[in-house]
Amino acid sequence: MNGQARAFVDSMPNDIATAATPLSFDEAFTLHHRAVFRTARAVVRDSGLAEDVTQEVFLRLYRNLDSTPGEELLRAWLLRVTLNVARNTLRGQSRSVARDSEYQKESDQGWFALAPEEDYERRVALEEARRALDKVKEPMRSCLLLKQQGLSYREIATTLSLKETNVGSLIARGRKEFARVYGKIGGRR
Amino acid sequence: MKECLSEEILQRYFDGELESERMEGAALHLAGCQTCAASLRELEGEAELLYSALAPEFDAVVPTERLQRRIDAAIAGLQVVGPVASQASTSGWRNWLESLSSLVSLTPQRTFGYAGLAVVLAFAAIFGISRLRNTPPVTPPSQVAAGPQRNPSPLPAVVESNPADSRVALTRNPTPQRSRRTSRATTARPLPSTPAVAEVKLLPGERSYLKTIAALDSTIKSGKKTMRPSLQAEYERNLALVDRAIATTRSAAKRNPNDPDAADFMFSAYQSKVDLLNTIADARVYNRQR
Repeated sequence: MNGQARAFVDSMPNDIATAATPLSFDEAFTLHHRAVFRTARAVVRDSGLAEDVTQEVFLRLYRNLDSTPGEELLRAWLLRVTLNVARNTLRGQSRSVARDSEYQKESDQGWFALAPEEDYERRVALEEARRALDKVKEPMRSCLLLKQQGLSYREIATTLSLKETNVGSLIARGRKEFARVYGKIGGRR
Repeated sequence: MKECLSEEILQRYFDGELESERMEGAALHLAGCQTCAASLRELEGEAELLYSALAPEFDAVVPTERLQRRIDAAIAGLQVVGPVASQASTSGWRNWLESLSSLVSLTPQRTFGYAGLAVVLAFAAIFGISRLRNTPPVTPPSQVAAGPQRNPSPLPAVVESNPADSRVALTRNPTPQRSRRTSRATTARPLPSTPAVAEVKLLPGERSYLKTIAALDSTIKSGKKTMRPSLQAEYERNLALVDRAIATTRSAAKRNPNDPDAADFMFSAYQSKVDLLNTIADARVYNRQR
């Protein structure tokens, strides 16, 4: 990505580079930017805001390359920062009437480009899924979002500051609650 | 028959998160227990529903290229403010200083070029502060102490001296300069620029600048006789300008302790002086070597 960023990581003392950040900044971006962006968008529900959040998350990674965890838990670290930044962004947004209306407009118009009919069906389905997900309480909701992205229980526990032994039951409860509400909303079950 | 599997164990079994022995035990139990097998089927159905319902949330295209450009630009922006991330890297500093030393390997023409640049920077600082003076302070100084301070122990700017040629290179503080603000608002006083200023209450970022400036100053004074008259005249003229800029920006920074721009202007003015002194110290060495 950025030559200087790579040079910085390369120039790090070996003990720091191997113990804390075996991945270079570029590699971390390549591997994890999708998860960061998608998680951010799932929270803020706006592609533009999700880009802002993603940028902020990777800037924080860049600033803290020497103190971030190693490769194994880097994704969890990034998604933890993502959730924090995204929620702060939402809090800021809630104070802005103008931005709310923009968000509403974008939600109404759909943020993924599809054929009109398919777009409509998908948009309705997604809105229903989001409404159902909104009814699931935290931290179960975040557990579901992270599980959907393929995170292990350990990563989920790290991301959400939970005990790993509690993750299974939180997912189970969240999944049941989602199915119950989604069934009511969409009449699917 | 063993006790039926709890929801949590079923979920962990489904997600492959059970230890291998428990996984085998659960599989055996499921093979023989209709109730748990039905629970697992229900779980599978709900999981499939959840997965397909949330799929559109995660299917949309990720704008990789745009994100990459934005982050590159943002990092480049950080590096303009200061090489932020280099605080952990001594060898990084070395590389950076090596590249700096190639910049300051001076010819007389470059000397005047750098001196001119320092003057421009000084004027920019004066211009900035004159605009700042028209802006009333936002927060009373008493509130600043409670303000966020990302870097409570200000890092000193890195100073490396080379005894061979007495040149001193000072880099910018590796953290963004606005984090170096403090709440120590004292009455404005003219800028001291010699070691005697240690008695004066300093803003944290100032000390390292003043030390460097003092070191450079003594280096230059010790070799003043070898300086060409034209260069010395230019030097003194520029120095007066930069000193004036420092004094102005410093008093403004103290008057507006809550304004990060005020501190930034002051540090810019200090940096201008360090740049100028470095230039002159290099020129002195260059002349001596000829």
